[in-house]
Parts: sequence; structure tokens; C-alpha cells
Amino acid sequence: MFYRLSGIHHTRYESARALWPVTADRRIVQGLLLLAVAAPFLLSDLYLTSYMLPWLIWTAAALSLTLLMGVAGQLHFGFAAVMAIGAYTSIHLTRAGVPFELALLGAGLMAALIGCLFGAAALRVKGLYLVMATLAMQYLVEWTIINVPAISGGAQATLSTPDVTFLFIPLQSDGALYYTALLWTVVVTLLIMNIKRSSFGRALVAVRDKDFAASVIGVNPLKYKLLAFFASSFLGGVTGAVLAFCYYQAVTPEQFGFNVSIQLVAMVLVGGLGSVIGAYLGAGFVLLLPIVLTNLLAFVAQFDLIPISFNLLSHIPLMVYGALIIGVILFEPLGLAKIYDNIRKYFLVWPFRHTQS
Amino acid sequence: MLTSSNTAVPLRDTAQPLLELSNVEVVYDRVFLAIKGVSLKIEQGQMIALLGSNGAGKSTTLKSISGLLAPERGLVTRGNLWFKGQDMLPLTPPKRVAAGLVHVLEGRRIFEHLTPEDNLLAAFPLRGSRQRYQELREQVFTYFPRLKERARTKSGYLSGGEQQMLAIGRALMTEPDLIMLDEPSLGLSPLLVQEIFEIIRKINEEQGMSVLLVEQNATAALAVVDYAYLLENGHVVMSGEAAVLRENPDVQEFYLGGAGKVDYLNVKHYRRRKRWLA
Repeated sequence: MFYRLSGIHHTRYESARALWPVTADRRIVQGLLLLAVAAPFLLSDLYLTSYMLPWLIWTAAALSLTLLMGVAGQLHFGFAAVMAIGAYTSIHLTRAGVPFELALLGAGLMAALIGCLFGAAALRVKGLYLVMATLAMQYLVEWTIINVPAISGGAQATLSTPDVTFLFIPLQSDGALYYTALLWTVVVTLLIMNIKRSSFGRALVAVRDKDFAASVIGVNPLKYKLLAFFASSFLGGVTGAVLAFCYYQAVTPEQFGFNVSIQLVAMVLVGGLGSVIGAYLGAGFVLLLPIVLTNLLAFVAQFDLIPISFNLLSHIPLMVYGALIIGVILFEPLGLAKIYDNIRKYFLVWPFRHTQS
Repeated sequence: MLTSSNTAVPLRDTAQPLLELSNVEVVYDRVFLAIKGVSLKIEQGQMIALLGSNGAGKSTTLKSISGLLAPERGLVTRGNLWFKGQDMLPLTPPKRVAAGLVHVLEGRRIFEHLTPEDNLLAAFPLRGSRQRYQELREQVFTYFPRLKERARTKSGYLSGGEQQMLAIGRALMTEPDLIMLDEPSLGLSPLLVQEIFEIIRKINEEQGMSVLLVEQNATAALAVVDYAYLLENGHVVMSGEAAVLRENPDVQEFYLGGAGKVDYLNVKHYRRRKRWLA
């Protein structure tokens, strides 16, 4: 089979601790990256800009959130607000003449700052109480954006993004937008994978699993909880800016509402908490599945086999989608990433059934 | 010996042991093989120890009997489990308790925010009579007088030994035919271990209750049980009367710390001999 462990011997720590120590995994990643780079030439404009592009950006958002929720174990139900802060900051900065690259940094820092402010609640409360604190952030940020004209440009206003260049390439063509998003998602992916195998990542996991046990071995839970909020909010803020510039190209407060926060949580949960591949799968599931279901249903409805009213047609995908989310959580509580992992493990030990150690 | 076919009828002849595991295999997470065909038997009223080092599969064996594998993503993939002639594998853990099989978990797991008395009450069946509850509670208190003294404090404040007593007492409230104890000696002083083991022996003798004792502390366990199984690396490597096992040089060497000086040539030799015995 393509997954083989035989013949893979690591004689140096560096190779044993590489991001993808198994050759087959490395090949798959290389292949997927190649496909992603070639996507503008392979896919039609419609597929590129309305499927691939949002999928990549929402994956980056889910990755930022999974760093906080999965790796550090701090629940966050207001992540759309973090992204909104990033989006609005970047737009105002570029309008003021700041280069886009610096505006992205500013967006991240502003989101991280405000995210930390609310994350400070995590120093005192856990679990459901933290959910309430982050929900408060969602509503406060939304309210502030809507009611301060200097930010939103008026209650009903839509702010369109100015024309910018990124690394000397004007962000006008679909290709440029796509590659910017791809670059950011790859950067976030590599960053999270490296955080997970670094001492910072291990400290976060220690705080997640048992914070008092972490503190008796010298990991300061307060510091690492705040750092988790900072890092995750920073990435979320930049992702919000990338989302605004590369996909929406105009922002309104409704684009970052409470339902978006819930969608992000759903992506992380369905994908698998704390898993990088889970963020990709979860974002794909939550984002693309409704579209696929709608298309599928429209396709079936063409044949007039069963009379489906127009109203029903728009509701069935939502119902199936809800059932599928419940199904995934029931069938595999650790998410799509675990399903992938089971399949992978099956092939790793194939043709045997089990490993013994 | 039962073959591992699933076509066996639920009830078998009357000369059956109380509990019989035949060739049970457990796989965690679908890929990790934890126990590889464990077979053991417990007769009514017998007290048996399951000994072995860390990771030998002792706790996994107990969990497969009490049905607690699912939360840990484990699955019995092969073998049979009979209790009083009834196939236990399809039953949920509460149904197995109702059938008369109770598991005292490793690390006590008492309800810390309840008093010892409420802990005992929590284990008593909802539809049981008040009188029966009081009888059982008195019985527990006679075995563990220390629990009676502290019946009204929060269980979280009990000492480790008292918590272990409470965990055993709580199991007794379900009126089991077989009580399985997972490392009751964990974290207790040698004197307290001796005390608890003596009480368990007393319960076994007075109530005729079968006991399956899982232990690391082989010396203490072999002193009280009738019969023992040695588990190593997911296999039963040896079994026999406790008195015979105590005299066995291999057991002395590996579990009772008898040999003293370690000679690598001899260790190899013993390892090979143990294979033979298995």
C-alpha cells in the first residue's frame, strides 16, 4: 500500500520530529500543495473564487480558533468578532494610506489586543462561564461597530476595500486574490503545526488537560492562557483582514455576526478539536456541504420524480446539514480528523489488523 | 473449552463456573491490541487474583468484564464472556451490575461532594426497600467501622484508605455475586493494605461472594487469594493455586522480589523458561 512504515528508520532526532516523518504523508502533502498552486489553471473562475477561495480562508480562521479551543482548551464563541476587528482595522488602515502588508499586521495586533482583553476573563473562569464571557465579546464588538460611525461608516453602511498591492502585486485579479489567501493559509498551517510540537504548544496542552498539574511543573497557566488568546486572536484578526480583502471586498457588520461564530465553532468541532487536518475538513464540511446538498437536490428536482415545493427545496439542505453535523459528532466525537486518522492507521498496519505497541 | 464462535446458545450446562472468559481479545482505538486472548474462570465463592506488571492488560481485562471499554474507545473483538451462564458482552454496564457483577475502579472514584452515606445510597437500587438498604448499610459499616464514624462528612475529605473502603462499601451495596477490585492497595500504607485485604477476605468468606482482585502488589495479594493468574503482555502466562505460585522460583524472581542479585544470564534463562510455562 502507499502508506508504509517499513523501511522508515530515523537515526536523527530532526528527522524523527519532522512535520511529516512518514514518506507517504509527505508525498500527499506535496501533491496537495501542487494541486493548490495549480488550481487557478485547473478550475473555472466560479469554482476558484466561490469554492476554493472561501474554503482556504475559512480554514485559516478555523485553524486560528482550533489553536485556542483545541490546543489550549479555551472555549471561544465570539471568534467572528475577532475577525471583524481585523477586517475593520485593515480597511481603515489602508484607507489612511498604510501599506497592505503593515495593515495586516495592524489588524492582527488590534484583534489580539482586544481579544486578550476579553480573554483575560479566561484567567478566572472556565468552560461554560468562559463561553458566556466570549459571547459578551461577540455582542459588545458587534454593537460597537454598528453604533460608532467612525468604524462602520454608519448604521447600514458597507465599507468597500480600497485597491491595494500585496508584495508588489496588485490585488485585482482572481489569481492574485487566490494566491494571497493560499499563502496565508499555508503560513497559518505551518505555524500551528510547529506550535503543536514546540514547548509553547506542549505548555498549552498541559494547561488544557490539567491547569493545576501544569502549574506544579512550572507552567504558568495565566501566562499561557493569555498567550493562547493573543496568538489565536492575532491569527484570527489577520484572517479577518484577508477575508475582507480577498473574498468579500466590502464589509458590513452582519458578515461577522453571532451565527458566523457558531459556524466557526462547528468547523472546529466537526473537523476535530486541535487538529490541523481537521480544520481543513471541518471548514470544507461546514462551508461546502450546504452548497453541494443544494446542487444535488436541485439536480434531483429536475426530474420531477417527487413533487418538491420551492420552499421545501430551500429547507431540505439545511435539515440534512444539521443531521450530518449531529451524525458526525455522534458517530465520531473526535471529528472528521479522527475518521481520517482511523483510515490512515488502518493502512499503516495493513495487511495486519493491529499493532502491539 | 469454548470455541470462539458466536453461535453458542446463551445458557449452558449447570456445571458452569460463575464467570468465564474465553479467549477475550481487546483492541483500543481499532489498532492497538491490548489483550490477546485471555481466558480465566472464577467459581462461586472463590477469591482470585490477577497479577501482572504495568501495562500487562489487567485493568483492560476487568473493563472488558464490566463493560467499561467503550468510553476509552476499546472493543472486545474476539472471545466470549459468560457470567452465570449468561452472555455478558451485549449488555450495558448497568445491566451487568444488575446481573450481579460489580467493578471497583482503580483510583477510588467516589462521589466527592456526597457524604459517605449518600455514596452508599447512590449505589443502592432505586426500587429497593428502605429496610434492605438499612441492612446493607449496617453490613458495610460493620465491615468498615471507620466509615460509620465519618458518615456525615464530605467524602472528598476522607483519607485515601477511607475512600478505598467507601469505594468497596459502595460496590457491596449492589449485592453483587462477583466483586472486582482494581488495585485497592494503590497509594495506601502497607498496614492499611493488609487491613483492607483482610476485610475483603472476610467478606469473601462470610458472604460467599466471589472476588477478582487485580494487583501489582503480588506479595500482599498472594497472601489472601486462593488462586491466581499471571498476566504478561496481554497473555495469561501462568496460573495456579496461590500457595503453589508463592513457591514458584519464577514468580519469586519477577513478582515477589526474592532473588536479590540480578544476573543477566540468568534473567535470560528465566525469561525463556517462562515462555515454556506459558
